Amino acid sequence: MPQKIIIDTDPGIDDAMAILLALASPELDVIGLTTIYGNVYTPQATQNALRLVEFAGRPDIPVAHGAELPLLLPLDSVADFVHGDDGLGNIAMPPPQGLPVSQSAAEFMVEQVMSQPGEVTLVPVGPLTNIALALNLEPRLAENVAGVVLMGGAATVIGNVTPAAEANIIHDPHAADVVFTAGWPLTMVGLDVTMQTTMTNDYLASLQSSRVGQFIFDITRFYTAFHRREYDLDGAHTHDPSAIAWLINPGLFTVETGPVRVITAGIALGQTLLDRRRHWLGPNGWTDRPAVNVCTGVDSVGLLALFKERILKG
Amino acid sequence: MTRRMIIDTDTASDDAVAILMALQWPDVQVEAITVVSGNVPMEQGSLNARYTVELCGQDVPVYEGAARPLLRDVRYAHFFHGLDGMGGMNYPAPQRPAAEGNAVTELIRRFGDAPGEITLVTLGPLTNIALALNLEPRLADWVKECYVMGGAACTVGNITPAAEYNIWCDPEAARIVFHSGMKILMVGWELCRGEANLSEADMATVYGFNTERARFAIDCNKSAIEANRQWLGDPALALPDPVTMAIALDPAVCTRRSTHYVDVACDAELTRGMTVVDQLGVTNKEPNIEVCWEIDVPRWKETLYQTLR
Repeated sequence: MPQKIIIDTDPGIDDAMAILLALASPELDVIGLTTIYGNVYTPQATQNALRLVEFAGRPDIPVAHGAELPLLLPLDSVADFVHGDDGLGNIAMPPPQGLPVSQSAAEFMVEQVMSQPGEVTLVPVGPLTNIALALNLEPRLAENVAGVVLMGGAATVIGNVTPAAEANIIHDPHAADVVFTAGWPLTMVGLDVTMQTTMTNDYLASLQSSRVGQFIFDITRFYTAFHRREYDLDGAHTHDPSAIAWLINPGLFTVETGPVRVITAGIALGQTLLDRRRHWLGPNGWTDRPAVNVCTGVDSVGLLALFKERILKG
Repeated sequence: MTRRMIIDTDTASDDAVAILMALQWPDVQVEAITVVSGNVPMEQGSLNARYTVELCGQDVPVYEGAARPLLRDVRYAHFFHGLDGMGGMNYPAPQRPAAEGNAVTELIRRFGDAPGEITLVTLGPLTNIALALNLEPRLADWVKECYVMGGAACTVGNITPAAEYNIWCDPEAARIVFHSGMKILMVGWELCRGEANLSEADMATVYGFNTERARFAIDCNKSAIEANRQWLGDPALALPDPVTMAIALDPAVCTRRSTHYVDVACDAELTRGMTVVDQLGVTNKEPNIEVCWEIDVPRWKETLYQTLR
């Protein structure tokens, strides 16, 4: 039986790649997309999520509109400089035909998880506001999900917004701390691994023989230009697709296990701090907090082969 | 014309009295009660709210909401209200179950169906309201006006030197609500102190009404009275939620009010939940909260008595 997943997403070029990878993978059954701000503002994220399910020939997949603001912090900006004004590389995609469902993202997640206990995995690849709201609406969510696999954070490497913080987490660190400490089976797929895998421009060009691959090549022109400017990189890092790759084949990754707390104030705002030692002189903020999986190593060759194999079928 | 009201409550003893007041008030229609974790666990608050509704012979729906604060560990005030939240009276279980549906989504639905028409009175931590605002920011405009029992305006707190219990329980929720743009009157705990307490003579007056409601109003506060006696050496009964409700029912109970920038301290343990009122306008920030500074004490007590006779 394929694993049921809800992708909570701020599409986003790498979000699009992740969604298309999931839809091309028989191991996964995407039962809904929920939207969030981050790469774009939430209304644009909802438009893009609808565009993507329609592009993939899956307009039956429900899209639920999510939170427009972080729990507490203001939303000062989104990553249009990475993903383009429209979030999908400015390739002038037509507007979607469909509409989001009437439920909010958090309510949709609660309903789906609680009606199929133990079956649904939440896959947030943006800021974690919707997930925290869902947990607050229904605390039993923690016992009823199959798991949570998130893209975000940086436990053993430097951040990408500040030295401390990765973009998804710093947008809503309060929500992130709730999610990391909720006591559910959680895997963090963060910058520790996503920046180890580069999709070069040659690799992206080699995807063009399929319709989906051509689309990925087209939307990544803006994205790779950003990586060239910012990191002097030929190609792009593999952020959100890495979370989907974990779901398909966790054997591609090595993990460390321990409690992660998110710093919610001060200069390290948004840092995901993994307790890598676990024994201290006295109790601290990590003591008795649930352990989570943190991906720290990845078989990049295997991941790129998996992605290509699936995308070329599309 | 009937005024429409929804009450959000962590129902323990003084909440129960406030609910009773609204249910007995002639021109007010309580359309729903939503329950939040605070004085007692949410499930106990739900039982207490339903018991109170049934005591008044009504069938207002009671919706269950947040069972813990947004970000903080859950805490209760059993030390003040008793294990059952009702002075250890162990009242029988209510006849009716909680209403179908989550308090948060129900708040959004009900205010959205009648924008600008329903008054909100909050008697507990602001978790449900903050969650509703996070899911639906337009709620701030839909609420006609919101009376908040919470905070301490330029004075001491009651759970720490800095903070009042409701705001302290979930300071982040309070911050969200205070900055949402909702029209809010903040009724701090200081307004129920001193002369506003029910003295032993006042409580004897209430008992003298010889109604079930009057006995209930005092009996369910037995733990609170005892806590007051031990804590402040004062045998009187402080009723923060009923004072707030009295203002909602009869705004003239509040005799001095003004609008200020008010923020909630969230970042340091020492000041957690402190309601910082910019009384002198030194921050130059847009005023967001109307603060009640003074009440007409005889009028507040008469408002209460009217509903108990």
